[in-house]
Amino acid sequence: MENALLIGLSRQIALAREADVIANNVANVTTNGFKARSLRFEEYLSPTARADSFPRNSRILSYVQDKGIGVDLTQGSVEMTGNPLDVAIRGEGFFVVQTSAGERYTRDGAFQLNAAGELVTASGARVAGENGPITFSPQDGRIEIGADGTITTAQGQRGKLRLVRFADPRSLANEGDNLFSSPQPGQPLGAKGRVESGAIERSNVRPVVEMSRLVEVSRAYQNISNMLQQTDALRRTAIQRLAETPAS
Amino acid sequence: MRALYTASTGMAAQELNVQVISNNIANQRTTGYKRQRAQFQDLLYQVIRRPGTATSDQGNLVPAGVLIGSGVKTASTARVMTQGTINASEKEYDLAIRGEGLFKIRMPDGTAAYTRDGSFELDAQGQLVTHDGYIVEPGITIPSNAKSVSINGQGLVQASIPGQVAAQDIGTIQLSRFINKAGLESIGDNLFVETPASGQATDGPPSSEGFGNLQQGYLEESNVNSVTEISSLIAAQRAYEMNAKVVTATDQMLSATTQMFRG
Repeated sequence: MENALLIGLSRQIALAREADVIANNVANVTTNGFKARSLRFEEYLSPTARADSFPRNSRILSYVQDKGIGVDLTQGSVEMTGNPLDVAIRGEGFFVVQTSAGERYTRDGAFQLNAAGELVTASGARVAGENGPITFSPQDGRIEIGADGTITTAQGQRGKLRLVRFADPRSLANEGDNLFSSPQPGQPLGAKGRVESGAIERSNVRPVVEMSRLVEVSRAYQNISNMLQQTDALRRTAIQRLAETPAS
Repeated sequence: MRALYTASTGMAAQELNVQVISNNIANQRTTGYKRQRAQFQDLLYQVIRRPGTATSDQGNLVPAGVLIGSGVKTASTARVMTQGTINASEKEYDLAIRGEGLFKIRMPDGTAAYTRDGSFELDAQGQLVTHDGYIVEPGITIPSNAKSVSINGQGLVQASIPGQVAAQDIGTIQLSRFINKAGLESIGDNLFVETPASGQATDGPPSSEGFGNLQQGYLEESNVNSVTEISSLIAAQRAYEMNAKVVTATDQMLSATTQMFRG
């Protein structure tokens, strides 16, 4: 009898976690370069005692366990901003960013300059070029970023944005600040990298999907609550009935 | 349940987004105004199962771990310093900058402020001042008997004086530029001040290397694009509603828990 309660509970814990993931996706619906995540579940088969002498064959119980949160790396919608320092990646690839903790990767191309004239992200981390950080001087004038990531100004070429790809992009871990970290360093994307300047990649969260999943999660959670309640009622009735002394 | 707090960070972010958009719309007709843009970043992640860790001593790895995010934060409300439309005003002391640079203004306390708003006037001494009466650097005084004043693209101010054939040179208006214009701090009244993020100001005459030229009798309008702002407003409003919906759904889940086993 307790198994029904515990299995129900495992599902509720997993659903509560799925609601957390949806809430994070929805909260980041306007975050540049954000990639939606979705939870995957697996059955956890409980080992049970087996014996032929049991009156009934023992049954295998399956609990729910959350196994992984997949990241959806599809392209987000690209918004034209006209700002020369905004860059969107077309197709696969990531920008490389130098942080104090090492190399990090991002799809958020809303870059800025710092007081030293270096190209930085909104949180101030340096954007890596093919040959080190990209620096501008006050005489540079208008900055142009070509389709292959080459940065030129009136004073000539200033470097090229470094783009990388991952053989297994699912292993990317979120670090916050729109950054990803990877256990293996990224491989250079080479000539396949294509960027669009004056544009920004928005979040790829699809609101309709998130909202319908949210309704589903919320309803499933309530159904399990009802189920647990009914199991409890069943047990209570059983205790009451069985304890009744037969009228003599 | 974390979802409740995550959704509340989303609601707070969208509220700020609407605030920034409404300020842009309110300043749509402000001379020299540069629109702001709210940028967001995701918050810290709680790692429950890290991707790439070994699941067996045969070298099997976790392909995609369990990482739960905790919402969104505002990274910056950077200004977009693109050129605004230049509009004819036909006023003698109206100046528009075409290209890079800002006018340098001497504040009453002697410090420098910078602006793109070139709608200048003369004060009682004939000095070129802003609407608030602050002097435009390097301090141009127009003679009281001047018939007309012309300011050319290089910032040279010339006055025609009755009885003189040639126009008299009075001075040159200076412009300033910064390596990181978006790092300037706005202090209201269309003025910006230098910050450690903007870098040091570089002064120079208009039309010199890296500086834009001046246009007399024109004003630079704001660079707010009403279509962009309204569509961003709609997006922000809907995003707010979605986050509110997450709060409601989480609340329903919590209430299902509390109503279990009510005797």
